[in-house]
Amino acid sequence: MENALGASGYTATMLAIVFIVLGLGIAALFAALFLPARWKLKYRMEFVFVVLLVGLVWYADRESTRIFTAYQGEIRKAGVISSAEAAEPGRNFDHVIKVIAFQWGFAFINDEGRISRNAEIVEPGAKVLFRIFGNDVIHGLNIPAVGITAEYEPGVERDLWIRAPEKPGKYLIQCLNYCGVGHAQMKAWLVVREKEA
Amino acid sequence: MASPQDMERMGGIPHWEPENIIGRMDLGTLLFSHDYRHVAIKGMLTSLVMLGLGGLMALLFRTELAVPDIQFFDARPYMSLMTLHGMFMVFGFIIPLVISIMYYMMPKILKTGRLIWAKGAQWSWWTLMVAAAALVISRPDFTWTFYPPMSLRVGGPLVWLGYLAVLLVAISEFLAGAVLFANGWAAIGKWGWSKLPLMGWAALAEGLLLMGSTPMLGLVAIYMLTDWAGLTAVYDAGRGGSTMTFMFMFWFYGHPAVYLPLVPAIGILYTLLPRFLGRPIWSYWSGVVAFALLTVLSFVVYPHHFQPAPTISTPLERAAQILTLAIFIPSTLHVFNWIATLWYDEIPSSARRAVPFRFIVAAIFFLMVGGVTAYVNGQIATDSDFVHNTYFVPAHFHAMFVGFMANMAMAGLYYLYPYMTGRIYSQALGNTHFWFWQIGIFGKVSMMYWLGYAYFPRWVVDYLPLPQWALPQLILTLSAYLIGLGFIVFIYNFIRSASRGASVTGDPWALSRDAATGAEVPAE
Repeated sequence: MENALGASGYTATMLAIVFIVLGLGIAALFAALFLPARWKLKYRMEFVFVVLLVGLVWYADRESTRIFTAYQGEIRKAGVISSAEAAEPGRNFDHVIKVIAFQWGFAFINDEGRISRNAEIVEPGAKVLFRIFGNDVIHGLNIPAVGITAEYEPGVERDLWIRAPEKPGKYLIQCLNYCGVGHAQMKAWLVVREKEA
Repeated sequence: MASPQDMERMGGIPHWEPENIIGRMDLGTLLFSHDYRHVAIKGMLTSLVMLGLGGLMALLFRTELAVPDIQFFDARPYMSLMTLHGMFMVFGFIIPLVISIMYYMMPKILKTGRLIWAKGAQWSWWTLMVAAAALVISRPDFTWTFYPPMSLRVGGPLVWLGYLAVLLVAISEFLAGAVLFANGWAAIGKWGWSKLPLMGWAALAEGLLLMGSTPMLGLVAIYMLTDWAGLTAVYDAGRGGSTMTFMFMFWFYGHPAVYLPLVPAIGILYTLLPRFLGRPIWSYWSGVVAFALLTVLSFVVYPHHFQPAPTISTPLERAAQILTLAIFIPSTLHVFNWIATLWYDEIPSSARRAVPFRFIVAAIFFLMVGGVTAYVNGQIATDSDFVHNTYFVPAHFHAMFVGFMANMAMAGLYYLYPYMTGRIYSQALGNTHFWFWQIGIFGKVSMMYWLGYAYFPRWVVDYLPLPQWALPQLILTLSAYLIGLGFIVFIYNFIRSASRGASVTGDPWALSRDAATGAEVPAE
């Protein structure tokens, strides 16, 4: 399963940092409570600690920006963000699919202009650009299998791209932002078909 | 060891002669007295009622969510419960409770002898009561963030009362902020800037947060009312308004809002930890700097609630990302300070026995559990993967609100109990409450984190029966029951011990040490 942001390694690193910091913190708390040895920390240790934290912040910002800029770069390459001109399929993406989000569901208009409600069929591993448009309320779009999430306001187009999973099957597309009583039912399916021989 | 200056900076001791204040209050005193203890007790009692109601709502919708499919509720009643749960817990329970505990403690710690502008605190309470009533009548189902245009299109004909309630909450919080700031400011006159007790810094920071952020909430509520009535179209995108304007305005309040219960809880911790340990905090200035940084940063990081958005410039998003991650620094400074304080000398056996001290330790634990994940929440790349609007966000704020702030509020209530009733709570029941809560909160928070990582969407009444979703949801519901059970034990203990607990005279928290480690230390 490929992460749309290409973020698998990066996410693992960040979660590892979270677990290490938490582990050290809890260890320090328990040591302070239960170790017989009492220890008065020097004040300069706090400065060292702050320098370490600044390093963590710097690292997180650099990595997050690198990943997200690369992701956005793919959309820019297709000329979608920088110009008003629509991207042509084949220039950078295998499919360019318009998504209309409404209360409550998703409609997809594919390259050939065919409209499908609540399901979209793609080839395995295809690079797909979703041009999302909502015209009623704020919605979200999330595809767990490829790890991408976005929230978008009505009246503004939002672009997301993914690489479809290699394994044929049905993958959930869901709204993540509360959009009214039908929110829990706002789902669609990304259908990856068998590769044609 | 601690210099005399350090001892002085701890402030006055939050100690009164234990007496049955609650037992001797009649209804008139409870409602109208300007004595700071009466005002504070009134706030605490209503906060606990709100906790009971908000918790009951949570248990109802948690029961619905325990297994996939719809069992009892349709989406609309479910969302009403969810919305009221959020609003009751944040506006009705946790913020007023920690502020009431500050009202009770400040006159002693800051040595002002009375609550300055107690009238403001009175008005704040009455406004909040009207707001709570209006909320219940309107039964909104638009979540506590009421994003337009959705929020303008849902709810019954009385939904406008919900916006009125939000306006009243803004007024109530502004008044409370003015009271806290006035008390902190008066204390500077007594102590000077360099010796102001940390509770005084908390009062100043909290006052600035409340007075700086709530006017924007009031304005948002007014525009929501006029948009709903069709008089304006500030936020309604369908009629030419802009939802982005709403986002910027609402979250300008919404981010400081989550620090509104945090800062008093930290202030209470800085007061009670030295009290139980019998020694000053490890570093006074580290605490002051952390308060100042937290206050300043809380006003500038709010775009992280709605980014990445296509209509925000990349440099602005990046600035918000860096500032958000920077909040890591003042928060960990606080935790570092507390652990260093615990570590630099013996922990008296009197502290180890005390139920409030246990709640303090648990609060520090959960502040770390909730705080560390801010590191991934703040990054746009992880945010666009599994954080934004999945259960990861509720996991983060439930660890903070319940794990840290509610635990600290409980520490404050158990601490004040002998002073308010003249009697001591049952130790066994206090410990039962403690363990029910800590196991329940840990189960709940860890399951929420896991569900968030598994892309479970927020605000859904029904979900697909996926194995990675169904079992954690069931454990989450069981954990919630455990917390509810702990709350019942707590209420039973507090009511029963008020008449049957052992009477206390002198200092209920007098220090004592083990014979092995040191001599008896005299009480303050």
